Amino acid sequence: MALLEVRNVSKHFAGLRALDDVSLSIAPGTIHAIIGPNGAGKSTLLNVLTGLIVPDTGSVVFDGQSLLGLPAYDINQRGIARVFQTPEIFPDMSLVENVAIAAVAARDGSYRANFFQHPRALQPVREKAESILADIGLGAYLNTEARHLSRGDKRRLELAVCLAHQPRLLLLDEPTAGMSHHETHSTAELLRRLSRNGMTKVIIEHDMDVVFSLSDRITVLHQGRIIADGPPDEIRGNPTVQEAYLGGAHL
Amino acid sequence: MITPLYAQSLLREGAVMAAVAVALIGLPWFLTAIGGYSELATPIVLWGIFALGFDILIGFTGLLSFGHAAFWGLGSYAAGLMLLRVTDGFIPAVLVGTLVGAVASLLLGYLTLRRRGIYFSILTLAFAEMFYYAALSPLQQWTGGDNGLTGIPPADLCGIAMKGEAIYYVIAVTAFIGIYVARRIMRSPYGLILRAIKSNETRVASTGIDTRRYKLMAFVISGVYAGLAGSLSAVYQTYVPTDALHWTTSGQVVMMAVIGGVGTLFGPMIGAGIVLYLANVLSGVTAQWLLIQGLIFMGFVIFLPGGVVDAGRRLALLLSRRPAPTDKRAAGTVSVHPAQAE
Repeated sequence: MALLEVRNVSKHFAGLRALDDVSLSIAPGTIHAIIGPNGAGKSTLLNVLTGLIVPDTGSVVFDGQSLLGLPAYDINQRGIARVFQTPEIFPDMSLVENVAIAAVAARDGSYRANFFQHPRALQPVREKAESILADIGLGAYLNTEARHLSRGDKRRLELAVCLAHQPRLLLLDEPTAGMSHHETHSTAELLRRLSRNGMTKVIIEHDMDVVFSLSDRITVLHQGRIIADGPPDEIRGNPTVQEAYLGGAHL
Repeated sequence: MITPLYAQSLLREGAVMAAVAVALIGLPWFLTAIGGYSELATPIVLWGIFALGFDILIGFTGLLSFGHAAFWGLGSYAAGLMLLRVTDGFIPAVLVGTLVGAVASLLLGYLTLRRRGIYFSILTLAFAEMFYYAALSPLQQWTGGDNGLTGIPPADLCGIAMKGEAIYYVIAVTAFIGIYVARRIMRSPYGLILRAIKSNETRVASTGIDTRRYKLMAFVISGVYAGLAGSLSAVYQTYVPTDALHWTTSGQVVMMAVIGGVGTLFGPMIGAGIVLYLANVLSGVTAQWLLIQGLIFMGFVIFLPGGVVDAGRRLALLLSRRPAPTDKRAAGTVSVHPAQAE
């Protein structure tokens, strides 16, 4: 059974068809890439999945339950985390605090009236945050304010924040954008490692090396429509994709 | 900045609270020494409690309310009416006043937190003004209208009449407890989550946290402090002026928080001291003291946006050490490659 099932989703913005009858199915434990030229509707699709946008029609079912109309925090608590296109972090808080907030949300749920809880109860949260940061390669900067990080490291920090929840589905919006060659390589390596632990991922990516080496399945969006959907080898040889995506150049 | 993640040693927390106790006990003498008068200590500590709770909202959660006069004023009227019509007991009057502040803030917070930024501020202002006009005329049977609530008898706490020095020490003990509680709240998970909401609300929501309920809690906590301070002020003054609900009361607490330094808890309390000291001392020197107060406020916002506390911190840093080489790295951009970090 699919972990996430998107059926006939459409969204129009003042005459623009951002998503046009999009259906796709994400199998558990896979890395599913969504590619397509700028403006194809990739980020809009992620916004629908995370509850930031409610589609005009269609359904989104995660693990047997509909996500439509749920607030963003509820969708996150059900196991879907997202790394945004521009890093969404807490710039004036330290790295360990950034991750600790997610660890608190994982521990306490969306709300708890524990405003008088003793600080000692936060020690396990801090240790969890520290170990996640060490694991992702930011362990040397636990008490640095997040705004001092480079763009690539901010993205990694956001990934660490997402991982603190141990999500079942991780959505990554261009995780390697703005990264050096070396950073891209190590991020791809990290994503591969996470997949071995069974975490399902949807990834929007422009770096075709990353897409074809990493993903189990690729969906191609063009002007809000799905024009191809299949395993990497099939997509690589698909003439429609080559026409739409690269104006005829070979992938 | 207070962080809940690294627990303070008991010794350090004890030292901080001991310093707070010394400051509260010494305030009347200190004021006399700097050309004020000792009775000024009571309103300073009262407004300090108000400003302390307000800082949880403005400094930590990043919500600028222009309507906190509502909770201070409603607390004042409720405590005053209790003393006038029900009992002369200090504790029931203050409890009811605080409770009224809490319930009003729950209601107003629920309605106003649907909007953000300037719209939120305007909504809080509009609601508070409604209470002001309601007290002025339709409810004047209860509130005394233009005259305010007059003739409140002195409250009684364990056989001691609450006036003069006695009430100062009761209010000082309340402030001491209020400071301890606020510090505990900021070291609970709320300390992290409220600061995170100020820093990046989108990320908080996408991290599985119901931001509206946490913001509402911050609003109610500050409303409880405002209601408590308002009740105490009714007991102290034995009079509730209609000004208690006027928007200038909301403006006053914002000014105190900014002058003292938002997000520091102690800052807004120091701000309350500075504003009230200047108002009293300057008004004795010149009739134009509001003009001078305005200039001082502008000076703080322009030249010391972090307030008195931040200025003191920077001065201490400047005096205690020269910039160490590690500081340079912390201030610049840090890039980590996993190969080096691992």
